[in-house]
Amino acid sequence: MKELIQVLGAEMKKSHRLNFHSSLIYFSLLVWPAITYVSAYYSFKPFDLGEYSPLNRFLSAENIGLFLLTGYLGYIFFWSLVQSAWQMSFERYAGTIELIFLSPVSRLGVIYGRAAADLLAGVWLFSTFAFLAAVLVGGVQIAGWWSVPLGLLVLAVSAVIWGGFLNVIFLFSRDSGFLYTILDEPMLIFSGVRIPVAALPCWGKLIALVFPLTYVLAILRDLVIEGYGFTQILPSLGVLLAVLAVLFLFSSRLVILAEKHALKTGNLNLF
Amino acid sequence: MWQTFRATFRRNYLTMRRAYPWSFFIGNILSAVYTVLFAYLTYNYVFLGQMETRFADFAGTGDYISYVVLGGTVYSLAVSMLMIVSRALITELREGSLEALLLTPSSRKGYFLGTGLQGLMRVGIEFSVIILIGWFLGLNLTHINGLTAFIVLSITIGSFFAQALVLGSIMLYFRDTYITQNTLFIVMALVSGVTFPVQYLPGWLQPLSMMMPLNYGLQAFRSSVIEGSGLWASRNELTSLIVLSLIYFGIGIWAVQVTEKRVVEKIFD
Repeated sequence: MKELIQVLGAEMKKSHRLNFHSSLIYFSLLVWPAITYVSAYYSFKPFDLGEYSPLNRFLSAENIGLFLLTGYLGYIFFWSLVQSAWQMSFERYAGTIELIFLSPVSRLGVIYGRAAADLLAGVWLFSTFAFLAAVLVGGVQIAGWWSVPLGLLVLAVSAVIWGGFLNVIFLFSRDSGFLYTILDEPMLIFSGVRIPVAALPCWGKLIALVFPLTYVLAILRDLVIEGYGFTQILPSLGVLLAVLAVLFLFSSRLVILAEKHALKTGNLNLF
Repeated sequence: MWQTFRATFRRNYLTMRRAYPWSFFIGNILSAVYTVLFAYLTYNYVFLGQMETRFADFAGTGDYISYVVLGGTVYSLAVSMLMIVSRALITELREGSLEALLLTPSSRKGYFLGTGLQGLMRVGIEFSVIILIGWFLGLNLTHINGLTAFIVLSITIGSFFAQALVLGSIMLYFRDTYITQNTLFIVMALVSGVTFPVQYLPGWLQPLSMMMPLNYGLQAFRSSVIEGSGLWASRNELTSLIVLSLIYFGIGIWAVQVTEKRVVEKIFD
């Protein structure tokens, strides 16, 4: 446990020094996500958002601002980890990955440590923005004071597990840039960030099932828009935990496989 | 100038074919396709085709899918063109060939023209693929005025080239591509009427659209493709587009010269 905390601290420090060397980082932390959110909000304006809007089948048209805000908050948590995983592949170019593997440090510790560190650094600013914007937009309904912290906790834990999975993939794959293109924007379209999952056609719903963000957003919205209590979200929380457990087992299995492969062939490219 | 043009064209063509045949290409096509797919799902499945009453007035057409497909396509054209031309010099700097380029008496005009036209080749293929996918999703091409659309698109591409010169010198000055280009692209997507008419934006944001050639190019291009109107119908947009291009071109040529000098001074400092 002590070792895990040490690794986490070291990764956090390294990642902070690497990313915050210039104040330009605030563009990717706040300016880009905020403008993208505003863009998404206005791209709904050409549609009928009135009393008889077809959108009311899925959510009240008045709540569209809050719907998008929770969607983007979740997306930023997951997106910052796609970015983090992408940077993980630089360890390969820099030649430091061999050093990590030669040291007696826990592999999963490094992978999840990096994910957790980058998550904290990547989301605090946009989360603050989201809170302020939620107050301005209005419409928040919660069952108790614990709803928001619980929502954030569910979001953070799921994002770290998703990030760990991506780190493993990016670490052992030769051309990972391609994954960035197929994971990033489909997550934005299909996991319910901008369009309610219930509105998607059948094939879209099937794609949505692949992304853990889909389950997380459903819980987050139940907590802050519908005002559900703890017992009401328990079934969906159970499903989310099952999905995360499968993802975690798959990631740790993949690390073992990749390392065995590397020991045997001297090659870190598993795929 | 033509010798430099030919040499740059040939070199960049070979680089594209041999070094990066797919990555940028697929990435650009996919992001435009995602924009279109998002609009398609929203229009057909969430709102069942019900538009707000003012949309047709603001957009100049009631055909939302065609509006967005053309928006997404020309936006991706703008992004590709701006990236290809503006990153040329800073890529030379990173690869270590900028000094050699600046020391030779080769024509800078020829260099940029070669880069731009070679880029146009790649962008042309991307453009056709996105239009084809958009057509499958519901882009209506029955009223297209082909000649006008072609002329408008050529002028618009020229304006992106002029804008790229300014962007390129800013990149070279700050030695940064990531933040500069992405910030411009995100702002451009918001204020240029790519997925929704500019009139929906708050009043204080709207003047920003007057700085974007993409805004005027898109308006003229849409009316020639969707409504089949001629050049005369879009005379105001075309005049604004040409004036903007001349301003960007003037600033761009001046800025490239100034930053080049600064870079040379830094190298030999």
